[in-house]
Amino acid sequence: MILEQLIGNLIQGLVLGAIYGMATMGLSLIFGVLRVVNVGHGAFIMVGAFIAWWLFSALGVIPILAIPVALVIGLALGFIFYYSVLRRLIKAPELASLLATFSIGVLLEETAKLIFGSEFRGYNWAVGKITLPMTVLPMTKLYACLGSVLIAVLLYIWFNKTRAGTAMRSVVEDSEGAKVCGVNVEGVYAMSFALGIGLTVVSGVLLTMFIPVGINPYMGGPYTLKAFVIAVLGGLASPYGAFFGGLVFGLIENGSYTLFAFLPGVEPFALTRFFSCMMLLVILLIRPTGLLRAK
Amino acid sequence: MSNRCSIRMIGFVAVFALLFATHASAAPGKIVIGHPACLSGKYAKAGEQAIGGIKACVDWVNKVYGGVTVGGKKLPLEYKYYDCESKKEAVTSLISRLITVDKVDCIFAPYSSGLTLRGAPVAESHKMLYMDHGGANNKIFRQGFQYIVQTIGPASRYHEGTLDMIHKVDPHAKRVALAYEDSEFAKMVMAGAEEHAKKLGFKIVFKRTYPKGVTDLTPLLSALKAAKPDIVIGGGHFEDGQLFNRQMADLDINANALSLIAAATLPAFYKALTGMAEGVMGPSHWEYGVKYAPEEAKKVGLPWIGPSQDEFVNLFKKALGKDIIPDYHAAEAGAAVLALVMGIEKAGSVDSDKVRRALGDLEFMSFYGGWDVDDTGLQVGHSMVDVQWQGGKRVIVWPAEAQTGKLYYPMPTFAEKAKGKLAVPK
Amino acid sequence: MRADPTKYYPLIPVYVAYLAMFLIGSNMTGMWQLMAMLAFYCALGQAFNIFLGMTGYVDFGYVAFLGVGTYGMALGITKLAHVEELGIGIIIIGLALAVVMATLLSLAVGAVALRLRGAYFAIATIGVNEGFRYFIEGAKIWNGSEGMIFTAELNQIFGRETASALSTFWADVLVLIIAAAAAFVTLYYMKSKIGYALTALREDEDAAKVMGIHVTKYKIIAFITSAVFAGLLGASAWALKTPYVFPPEVFEIHYTVEAIIIVLLGGAGTLLGPLVGGLIYGLSKYYLSIVLPGFQLLIFAPIIILIIVFFPEGIVGMLKNRVKGTALEQYVL
Repeated sequence: MILEQLIGNLIQGLVLGAIYGMATMGLSLIFGVLRVVNVGHGAFIMVGAFIAWWLFSALGVIPILAIPVALVIGLALGFIFYYSVLRRLIKAPELASLLATFSIGVLLEETAKLIFGSEFRGYNWAVGKITLPMTVLPMTKLYACLGSVLIAVLLYIWFNKTRAGTAMRSVVEDSEGAKVCGVNVEGVYAMSFALGIGLTVVSGVLLTMFIPVGINPYMGGPYTLKAFVIAVLGGLASPYGAFFGGLVFGLIENGSYTLFAFLPGVEPFALTRFFSCMMLLVILLIRPTGLLRAK
Repeated sequence: MSNRCSIRMIGFVAVFALLFATHASAAPGKIVIGHPACLSGKYAKAGEQAIGGIKACVDWVNKVYGGVTVGGKKLPLEYKYYDCESKKEAVTSLISRLITVDKVDCIFAPYSSGLTLRGAPVAESHKMLYMDHGGANNKIFRQGFQYIVQTIGPASRYHEGTLDMIHKVDPHAKRVALAYEDSEFAKMVMAGAEEHAKKLGFKIVFKRTYPKGVTDLTPLLSALKAAKPDIVIGGGHFEDGQLFNRQMADLDINANALSLIAAATLPAFYKALTGMAEGVMGPSHWEYGVKYAPEEAKKVGLPWIGPSQDEFVNLFKKALGKDIIPDYHAAEAGAAVLALVMGIEKAGSVDSDKVRRALGDLEFMSFYGGWDVDDTGLQVGHSMVDVQWQGGKRVIVWPAEAQTGKLYYPMPTFAEKAKGKLAVPK
Repeated sequence: MRADPTKYYPLIPVYVAYLAMFLIGSNMTGMWQLMAMLAFYCALGQAFNIFLGMTGYVDFGYVAFLGVGTYGMALGITKLAHVEELGIGIIIIGLALAVVMATLLSLAVGAVALRLRGAYFAIATIGVNEGFRYFIEGAKIWNGSEGMIFTAELNQIFGRETASALSTFWADVLVLIIAAAAAFVTLYYMKSKIGYALTALREDEDAAKVMGIHVTKYKIIAFITSAVFAGLLGASAWALKTPYVFPPEVFEIHYTVEAIIIVLLGGAGTLLGPLVGGLIYGLSKYYLSIVLPGFQLLIFAPIIILIIVFFPEGIVGMLKNRVKGTALEQYVL
């Protein structure tokens, strides 16, 4: 009975974890290359969610087809914010870039509120579900999970096989060295930021396939926080690390809930979050390169 | 040197003082309502509704009712609001500005129990009437505030009607699951529901909370599913209500009845969930369609004031310039305006002390329903209604006297709903 | 060293401004609550600046110290309300509890997070803030998510009139005093060994270490000081002024962001900066909410971005460069 519940939750956690991972890759990519923590991360997820919602409910476009649209819009936003703001802040102290990215987030939220209002929205793309003995999985959740994995694989190939991808990787590892070797660091910065934002916006689309309700301008906050924990799990500067961090996080989030629920007189959800915050601290302390990578 | 500096400083202070030079004070001959409204920030949604509701009723008082009668003269109402950004720092400074600079005659509290509490001491210190239309926490009224008057009903009673109704239509349904948001407001609803359920002989088979801002309820709902409840009641705010219903559908959790506070009665709820929301219920302070009318008031022997329901809706749409149906946040804020008007007329003065005393004795009915407060200012005269989604429409199914249609029970299963079944009674 | 009075000249403009705020507030009708709000923002900036301005470390979870301070006062009042002899002493106990709790938390955080640098430190402190909040809610300590409301207790202890004056006047006076004290401590640190050590640290932490400066010690001193002021601020501006405490409200990360904005606007690491930043931030917020209700954030966000990009030194930072070499130099820091 309990075991069945636990397994059911873990399956759900794995599916959600893949999306979490996808939603964190952008954050890690930007930090890895630019050493900037995008505190406005959640707002870009919100943009993706609105794209999916709007395309579906206004034009009847299914969320899968919203992914390329989201990618293009995300890349565009990324380039715009890079060239107008971030470019000038790369060498500035953390304070400046933290506040700048936060303000960008607020700007996006308020703009979304101006356009769409503060209503909570949702859409219903009914494509059936799979009933397992332990749990029920709607097809949309599975599509979102597969989509995340596919994008992660494509990104891996791009990093390893293409010129631009290798250049980006070289900057992550050693920006001075890359410069010496003739890599256009400035271009890599812009490209990485745009790609990071693009991935984040796409993840917003995928997220609505898992949770197609509650779409509103301020929905991003909780995801920013989760993304931080996941990014740290994965080593903060590594996009693939982030993807696996997401899987681990999804499992822990759902698994630990089932276990915490046995403790009398506590609120298991809040303890789950407490637990993930503690995990963040412990990993930062003992293994700042992340859980999954050797030192 | 320090001379030059101090001269500068004096100049600085002078400029400073000029900046704050008070605006012309409110002229006598009108009654001004001041409101630190939540136009932006986390309560923006409810805040906009409240502004619309207040504007609509102020409009009605001025144009239809002809103004507020004080000492034989008809005085117009005026509404003055600023945006508190749903933040406590702004609430106190804006209330103080409204009282001292704009010289308002009454303060309407901002939305939520927390912000209402924040403003209360300032209103009290100015001995200014403080109309609470969006703070449901019962504890506010155990603090000894003397100028606060509630229009929204207390949180502890939100789910009582739902349980009464199910107790009546299906005496065999015994297993109740409670799943509320972990916030001061929802917890109070939960405590009230639990107590009432036990009194009616229900068995609580599941009782858990989830934190504010939750994004995935799957683990909680899997456990809920295992408890096999007949009735599921819960909720907290807007977003979690949608999530709750949606994920129950995703996990195929079926119950005879599902009732969610706050979220389920709003149009956005159905818009987001469409067919999945069929048969889902929610308690509400007010809902478009309630049958409160002058005849009804006469029957129960209460004075009537205010626009009819349709008038209110039209005025509301005009006030906001948007084609949206007001929800209960608008209605309760509007009803607070009507209570104020009644109170002032009864007291024959705008003096807060006298109006507060008059409001203590006042009992009336409006489009919002009954209105009566006890000595502490707690609303006791307003009963809530229960709304069910039937074929995409909100139907009031409880209590019998306000009902616009019959209850559809049990709720169709999610599989049936996915095939397009509607919860419309034959 | 202490004998040199010019050392404290930069405090003059700061104190003149605080005095002016007090006088404007108490003498002009309707100004007090506005001044109280400005004082809160200035105090928040002054307190935050002690750590951020001097070390360059961004503590994103700073609001947690205000939160525990609020809890300190709330616990003092609710637990001791039945002891009648205490009288005004209960406030002092509350403040003391706030200080103790903020110190303990800062020690715990300091031991963990101060080993980290840059972005890692910022993320760790967010984790602490959120973790602490969820611990309170999850383990249901201190009433969990229901929080505490204690106006009734204040009324019972002090009587209605005094309790009301406490919430609407004395709490704000306390905030002004905290702001002034924080300014004094800032200057004291700047002019003492701690300040020089931290400046070295801010420029290059590793070099400072090599030079034999006991970096960790000074970092922790600044961190605890900053946290204690935050605790006091929470106890007065939140617990006393708003006699309730709900966990999601007192751990709201937006307050950290406001503190960062204020410090950055005025100029990080300056004495006058938080004051100027707090005034500008508070006033523009206040008037925007009156003139253009509902659009403050939309207007604010791009302005902040512009300021970060074009005036990273803040207003006082620029002013300092301007007055360099003039007679005013000794007043602007």
